[in-house]
Amino acid sequence: MPLFIDIALRLLCWLLLAPLLPGVINKVKAWVAGRQGPPVLQLYYDLARLWRKGVVMSSLASPGFIIAPAVAWTAVVTAALLLPLAGAGTAFSFDGDVLLLVYLLALARFCTAWGAMETGSAFEGMGAAREVSFAVLAEIGIITAILTLVVQSGSIALSSMFEPLSGPGAALLAVGLFIILLAENCRVPFDDPNTHLELTMIHEVMVLDHSGPPLAMILHGAAVKLMLFSVFLAQAVLPLSELPLLASVSVLALSVLLVTVAVGLVESLTARLAFKRVPLLLTIGFLFCLFPLLLTWMGDL
Amino acid sequence: MIAALLGIFGLSLLLAICVGRTHPRIWLGLNSITALSGLYAALLVLITTQPWLWHGGFLLGGETPFLRLDGISALFLVLVCLVGGLGALYAHEYWSEHHYPRSAPNGRCWWSALTLSMGLVLTCANGLHFLFAWEAFALCAYFLITLDHDNKEARKAGWLYLAASHAGTMALFAFFSALAARTGTWELGPVHAQAGLAPLFWLVLFGFGVKAGMFPLHIWLPSAHANAPSHVSAIMSAVAIKMGVYGIVRFSGWLPMPDNAGWVLLGFGCASALLGIAFALAQNDIKRLLAYCSVENVGIILIGLGLSVLAVQHGQPVWGKAALAGTFLHVLNHGLFKSLLFFGAGSVLHATGTRDMSRLGGLWKVMPWTAGLFAVGALAVSGLPPLNGFVGEWAIYQGLLRAVAQKGPAVGVLPAVIVLAGAGALALAAFAKAVGIVFLGAPRSKPAANAVECGGLMGTPMFLLVTIMIAIGLLPGLFFRPIMGVVAIWAPQWAMADPLLATRTLGGTHTLLLCALLAGGFLMLRKIRNNGTRPGLTWDCGYVAPTAHMQYSSGSFAGIARGWFFWLLRPEMAIQRVRGIFPGKARVLERIPETVLEKIIGPGVQAISFAANGAKRMQHGRLHLYILYVFLGVTALGLMVLMGGI
Repeated sequence: MPLFIDIALRLLCWLLLAPLLPGVINKVKAWVAGRQGPPVLQLYYDLARLWRKGVVMSSLASPGFIIAPAVAWTAVVTAALLLPLAGAGTAFSFDGDVLLLVYLLALARFCTAWGAMETGSAFEGMGAAREVSFAVLAEIGIITAILTLVVQSGSIALSSMFEPLSGPGAALLAVGLFIILLAENCRVPFDDPNTHLELTMIHEVMVLDHSGPPLAMILHGAAVKLMLFSVFLAQAVLPLSELPLLASVSVLALSVLLVTVAVGLVESLTARLAFKRVPLLLTIGFLFCLFPLLLTWMGDL
Repeated sequence: MIAALLGIFGLSLLLAICVGRTHPRIWLGLNSITALSGLYAALLVLITTQPWLWHGGFLLGGETPFLRLDGISALFLVLVCLVGGLGALYAHEYWSEHHYPRSAPNGRCWWSALTLSMGLVLTCANGLHFLFAWEAFALCAYFLITLDHDNKEARKAGWLYLAASHAGTMALFAFFSALAARTGTWELGPVHAQAGLAPLFWLVLFGFGVKAGMFPLHIWLPSAHANAPSHVSAIMSAVAIKMGVYGIVRFSGWLPMPDNAGWVLLGFGCASALLGIAFALAQNDIKRLLAYCSVENVGIILIGLGLSVLAVQHGQPVWGKAALAGTFLHVLNHGLFKSLLFFGAGSVLHATGTRDMSRLGGLWKVMPWTAGLFAVGALAVSGLPPLNGFVGEWAIYQGLLRAVAQKGPAVGVLPAVIVLAGAGALALAAFAKAVGIVFLGAPRSKPAANAVECGGLMGTPMFLLVTIMIAIGLLPGLFFRPIMGVVAIWAPQWAMADPLLATRTLGGTHTLLLCALLAGGFLMLRKIRNNGTRPGLTWDCGYVAPTAHMQYSSGSFAGIARGWFFWLLRPEMAIQRVRGIFPGKARVLERIPETVLEKIIGPGVQAISFAANGAKRMQHGRLHLYILYVFLGVTALGLMVLMGGI
């Protein structure tokens, strides 16, 4: 398959499937609460509606306020394109592309913080400060997980990095990555995606002033990021590359669905954490990634 | 050819020193000639990988002059010429005769003298002459830092710099004389064969580490960089501290290394990277923030160098070569983006008269060019793709990750990777804060609201720097090729090894990414124009009259991370609360002390001077007691001889 068709197909897959995940989460939450809940495709409708709307711009904001969400979205989607999809592998890969992935997510974070600082709102400044500070802990957790994979596989390219870990290591890594997934995608117990105005918000409060197409970009980008973390988590833990193509892709899809349902369940069953405990839980996530690293390192000694 | 170019470099600088006081335009022209000829010479050496050597036929201080320009010194010479030339252009407007009639003429002379002495430091291959050049360089920098000598802070910073610098120079005197005594010659070159020389590396690390701003030795750096004129801060941070890095790189390649040198370098690198950026994040002064960020970047450079030293010891060219290439590229990168950022901060200072971030804000409206260029610098210094900062860090990370992938003996590399990632994320926080607080939102004071954009002579250097930075990001292969030649000079045994850096793919991905980002931004702007926009007040939960003071401030932005590093930063708060029925003004002042200087070295110095004052009492001018001292001394000596038989 020529490279650009391959990339175009992956792009379609990421862009079209990603908004499904928040829908699934909301459905799970509704079921647990005994409500009917919004349709699974609700985010698609929201995006279509937002895309047609006009924009209210704060009088303080520069054109960067509009550009930043677009740049953040592009960065997240590019990062997603770098990830292998189980048996389908990667479209293109090179040594050290995993660092590009981490830093593209950082670029998206910088742009979101930029957009928040544009409006001069105390709330959004607060959100930006929290986002960039907590991201320090999340990022060292992610890099630790990556180190585990590097030690396990002996490779530093995403195409060959995802080798199955041994049992307990895989379980620990799954828990660690799941905690980081919750933090980075602003889910309960770190953040509550349902409300915007609480002082304990992190991510949601940064996008208070966005509206119209930029908000659509932000919502869609968040969905892609959630899917990116789920795909990363599933492949870091499950030995997918050993299965035949079709089977591995369906197992990947199933496990992404499972992660999403788990996020929904966590969201229904736990309360949001007291704000001061957030760094603590993130540190626990980091430790959950650190133990498998030490396990794999000591493995053949 | 190279001799002629370097001759032009030196002569035009000498001429510039002579005419600089009276003829600013001729001075600017001469500096441009200098920069171009020096750049050309350095690039020739880098591309042909042929070193240039020159032995003088005369004696200077009892030694024949010996100049050498090889790949390593050429790489640093590129920075000297680039920042020297662009800084001169910037200074022409920034520190002009019009604004500073007294200090501007001196500033021009010292600027050229600094460039010349740094050129000499890089080319002198004779230990004695190197020390001369080093001392001249330190003094020129001192006079530039204290250029504005009506300013008390600048004078204080200058003294601190001079004292710290000489503490380092003392170690260098010891090092060069010991080296000359053991090898029998002042001429510098590889001395791997004499294993006994290895401990001398610790002198190198201390002597050059002070200048480089390595963590516990960085005490002079923040105040000097913050209080110097901004073009001086730029050359200090981008080039002068690189002279220290040059020394460490140079002698770690030439000397036999002590066994644990690699780990020590890695440890100091991690400390500088993490703690430097923690200090940076907590600062409220934009130039101090940039200064501490230099400590972080020197840390990143030392991490790369430490890994390369380890790679030599373990015979692993695969990690070492990638890490060392990344280190050299990061030296260049940091020079580029840090001078850009200091130029940008200088423009802000020039326009508003303050460096205090809590008095700035909303500057994008009045200074759109400075804001945009500074933002690019901030992205690059945070190591974000597709700019140059990412390329250098990517190569260093690859060295580290390859070391991890091979397992082997290097378990200590794991924390280094984690620290590097943490420092990267903190750098992003620090620069999101710097850009957000200074340029975005609403102006927090009158000067910030009434600022005007800087002129063309200040804008052009920044624009050129951004161009080079983007070029490195998009064409990393083009820049890595000469750097591989430099790596081969540092470690000739690795000449054949393949560093396995996928520079072409990275360059292609970066190019596509940049196109996608630009297209995304452009399409979004067009979409918004089609959909229509409506201006409105910032949404603050229905609050109808928000003021600029309600914005998040620089101190509050750093609050969370400052809490994590409270044990180190120890912020001092002066709070005036709202009290009574008719309260007066309320205010909160926060100061982040330079902990190492004020909490460790300061009390230490005080204790020493207290003891010295005590000892002064023995010197009272009473002759009979002096005779008693002599008597006691002689008796004690006699007793020692009798008892111990010394």
